[in-house]
Amino acid sequence: MVRLENVGLRYGLGPEILKDVSFRIRAGDFYFLTGPSGAGKSSLLRLLFLALKPSRGLIHLFGEDVATIERSRLPALRRRIGVVFQEFRLLDHLTTFDNVALPLRVAGQRERRYRADVMDLLNWVGLADQAHAYPPVLSGGEKQRAAIARAVIAKPELLVADEPTGNVDPALADRLLHLFVELNRLGTTVLIATHDDKLVRQTRAPVLHLEHGELTVR
Amino acid sequence: MRGVASKPGPIIPSNAGVLRSLTVTMTVMCYLACLAIGALILINRAVDSWTSGLSREVTVQVREVEGADIEAELLKAQGLLSAAAGILSIEVLDRSAGAKLLEPWLGSRNLDDLPIPRLIRVVVDETSPPDLEALRTSLLDVKGANLDTHQRWQSELTRMARALSVLSLAVLGLICVSAIAMVIFATRAVLQANRPVVELLHLVGARDSYVARQIDGRFVKTGTAAGLFGVALGVLTFFLLGLTGPEGAGGIADASRGLLFAPPRTAAWSYAIIFSVPVVATLICLITSRMTLIRMLREAL
Repeated sequence: MVRLENVGLRYGLGPEILKDVSFRIRAGDFYFLTGPSGAGKSSLLRLLFLALKPSRGLIHLFGEDVATIERSRLPALRRRIGVVFQEFRLLDHLTTFDNVALPLRVAGQRERRYRADVMDLLNWVGLADQAHAYPPVLSGGEKQRAAIARAVIAKPELLVADEPTGNVDPALADRLLHLFVELNRLGTTVLIATHDDKLVRQTRAPVLHLEHGELTVR
Repeated sequence: MRGVASKPGPIIPSNAGVLRSLTVTMTVMCYLACLAIGALILINRAVDSWTSGLSREVTVQVREVEGADIEAELLKAQGLLSAAAGILSIEVLDRSAGAKLLEPWLGSRNLDDLPIPRLIRVVVDETSPPDLEALRTSLLDVKGANLDTHQRWQSELTRMARALSVLSLAVLGLICVSAIAMVIFATRAVLQANRPVVELLHLVGARDSYVARQIDGRFVKTGTAAGLFGVALGVLTFFLLGLTGPEGAGGIADASRGLLFAPPRTAAWSYAIIFSVPVVATLICLITSRMTLIRMLREAL
């Protein structure tokens, strides 16, 4: 499903953030991505959810070579990937409901068709009461849950999450981890970037460790 | 529950400030376009009326020639004209009528001593006009006679009208270019202001056309509203100009009245051209914003 070979990334003329990164994730896998701050975790995730192109090397997603894929085919590829952004990236002018429903709306679905699914998911992440609220009035944890709900609402084949439990209390972190595990059990491939060792220990999932731009598999 | 039960909110914020500024400037452009179109219609209509008046009439001028009796020459000319085909009427103007024509240059003093030429006004049949060259040749037999077909004035008027029409069309072209530039600028401003939103939409799988549709609808509304405001102001301007002078006095007041209250067939044509302004404004907004958006969105990954 995901294959990287000798991927290098630098921003402009700056130093190389990622150096010869190679790994493979098969459909149905569950991986953690760990490493100290500044190691390049977020950059690697940005490559995986197609927000960046590598400076060198090969990235294959769902069998497609990201470097040569036609731009018109990117939306279809992106719809197969759910992303939890570290900084949430909720749209402040949309309600929590509309934020969570965004991937479905963008895919052309009508509200009456997705309303029940979105409400079920909001209920599950404990945000049903905040469905009508706008992000500026949500707490950090609520925003985090809304961002996760948005990432999974379209049942993506690959879920990429950047510090998804960074702003929530331990109990909710466990619950969210349970959601990711459940999604993985239903067939979604999951890659979670985290600093939380406890989270990693809980699942015993394999770890991609990034340090100074170099990746090792543990 | 608002966000759940009601229609979903717009995905991209409205950027009312940018669009309000665009509405104002587009309204001014549409107003100017309306004035330019009005001027174009009036020029064409005036020239049509002048040239048809001029081509309906020719004038025979008979100068006093030494040794010739001008009255006899006038009669001779009248006879030749009567015999020619394609002439509807002949009127020999008396000497005072010729003197009156010279009044603007010579004043109203006694002109008895001056050899003022005598004029014959000839109304020709526009549907089967006479052979003017043959008429000119036959008038060579009349001493001091000269046929004036007003061809020079007609071509002068046509040239002037053509120049004014080209000028009006150039103004319209410049207005369109300015409007396009403004829409491009506003589209860039809206897209720039919403860059994070657009990037997120792309990342959740939105196509460029979907993102463009979220924005260009607003430009279409702006173009239509500005077009209608501009036309309303234009019509109001012609109406007010029509009130500035008495009927039949000529000038801009009569022309404005003629534009708004022409016979139904002519008025319908004028109104159709004037009301094409909102349509063109809407099309400019739709096509320009869509093309700008697609081009800018393609620059993103």
